[in-house]
Amino acid sequence: MLTRPQALALVLRRLALLGRELGKPQLEQANEETRLFGEAAALDSIGLVTLMADLEEDVRAACGVSVHLADEKAMSRLTSPFRRVGLLADHLIDVVEKSTPPA
Amino acid sequence: MPPWLDSRLLGHADKPAIAGPWGVTTYADLRVLMNKATASLRQLALDRPTAFAIVGEHGPASAAWLLALCDAGHFVAPLAGSSAEHPPKLAQIHAQWIVSTRGHEWSLLPRVDEPSNHPLFERLRAQRHSGLVLFSSGTSGRPKAMVHDFVGLLAAYASRHENRLPVLALLGFDHIGGLHTLFGCLAAGSLLVVPSDRSPAAVATAMAQYRVAVLPASPTFLNLLVASGEYQRHDLSALRLISYGTEPMTENLLARAREAFPGVRFLQTFGTSETGIVRTESPDPASTFVRLEDSAMEWKVVADELWLRSPTQIVGYLGGDSARFTDDGWFRTGDKVESGPNGTLRVVGRFGEMINVGGEKLMPAEVEAIVLEVSGVVDCRVRGEPHALTGQTVAVDIVAAAGMELEALRASIRIKCREQLAAYKVPTRVTFVTSVSGDRLKKLRDLPRP
Repeated sequence: MLTRPQALALVLRRLALLGRELGKPQLEQANEETRLFGEAAALDSIGLVTLMADLEEDVRAACGVSVHLADEKAMSRLTSPFRRVGLLADHLIDVVEKSTPPA
Repeated sequence: MPPWLDSRLLGHADKPAIAGPWGVTTYADLRVLMNKATASLRQLALDRPTAFAIVGEHGPASAAWLLALCDAGHFVAPLAGSSAEHPPKLAQIHAQWIVSTRGHEWSLLPRVDEPSNHPLFERLRAQRHSGLVLFSSGTSGRPKAMVHDFVGLLAAYASRHENRLPVLALLGFDHIGGLHTLFGCLAAGSLLVVPSDRSPAAVATAMAQYRVAVLPASPTFLNLLVASGEYQRHDLSALRLISYGTEPMTENLLARAREAFPGVRFLQTFGTSETGIVRTESPDPASTFVRLEDSAMEWKVVADELWLRSPTQIVGYLGGDSARFTDDGWFRTGDKVESGPNGTLRVVGRFGEMINVGGEKLMPAEVEAIVLEVSGVVDCRVRGEPHALTGQTVAVDIVAAAGMELEALRASIRIKCREQLAAYKVPTRVTFVTSVSGDRLKKLRDLPRP
């Protein structure tokens, strides 16, 4: 089980690391409302896929489950879970919950 | 340049030809630029057909030089994207001159090299035909240079009817699809619209500004345009046709795109750098099955693989490796296809190792060669992984040296790749493992390092 603050912390930590890697220091100051892609966004499509891949590795390390953040269902949602940091944190909780085997 | 194309350019005179961040260039302006390029060429007093590279993105200067070099019977390689990838390509064609372009500006730089005496160049020289060189990912990690008879390639556009529908240039100036868009526009007298970059926001802005009617896109780009919501933030009401190709389209994504753009026609296109673009029909707009309907192109399916044969296909590879062509001229595309109703088919994936990220292709070996240079990497294996956003993505398994700090190593690997490779080739997933399988890397390590 992943709590909301934990999920948000995972996303923000990954964004900060990615920002250092990409030479985009503004990513270290990201918050709930930071746009991930689309207009005035911080990442291009490859950056976004990189962020997802790193988060999937983090979830595997933290929760012991293997998840996929992007699937056809997520892509079909009316409001994309990849538009803003807060939405991505919610999505992370959602996919972890669905993949955790019942106790 | 073929006379028919010159008379078209002359006939379109005051119509807009290319628009982008530099403004709008008319067909008359484009001819002026072309004449200037021709005059510069004369000043060089070249006594034989010579290899040139045009380094830049779509724009009036790039187009003018491409046409001027074709007209003068030279060999030309358009190079765009990451400049770190250019040196081995320039070396392969023995480029003597580099035209660096930006908007309607250019600079001409000499490059010291022996002129190429390659038999393919000699053959075109004897016919007094210009050569167009395009690059694709080679299996060994060395880019593969494909030589087209430029005059023959352009002839395929002579039958285009005049139209006034502005077209967006999404695929690059160095990509067969991007050049197809450019030549199609020039032949029809329509406007080519060049966005400031290829993000959904920049593309949608340019589409609204110039009332773009035709959007040739990859499925990945359509996915981004819809998921980002950019299509709702701009007035895209002039859009009439979306053509898509370069990678497999899922029916789910097609349904979403059709919902986002009601009233817009969707057309699947198909092509390879080796054969050019095939005309297709989509009998059912909701289905990804197409019928190849091109009187100039023959096709057949052999053991689920699509084979093509066309009069505009390349005259050969500079590297000499023509294993993908049969003796009777069929090109094995490497695309795995599935047959549908009424003689239709659809592409379901690729045979072999090639990775397709949003329509841009690469071979694992070219990324592995770079990753192996990173200190702390003992061994690695690059593979394609399915991804809902970009079709496929680049993943790498790493065997790290003992005692390495893995998070720092992951960053070093990506930074090194970003310095040396185009962005789409940079591994998005870096996984640490204890061993990797396969013997391809053994061969790779035996190759001489540049």
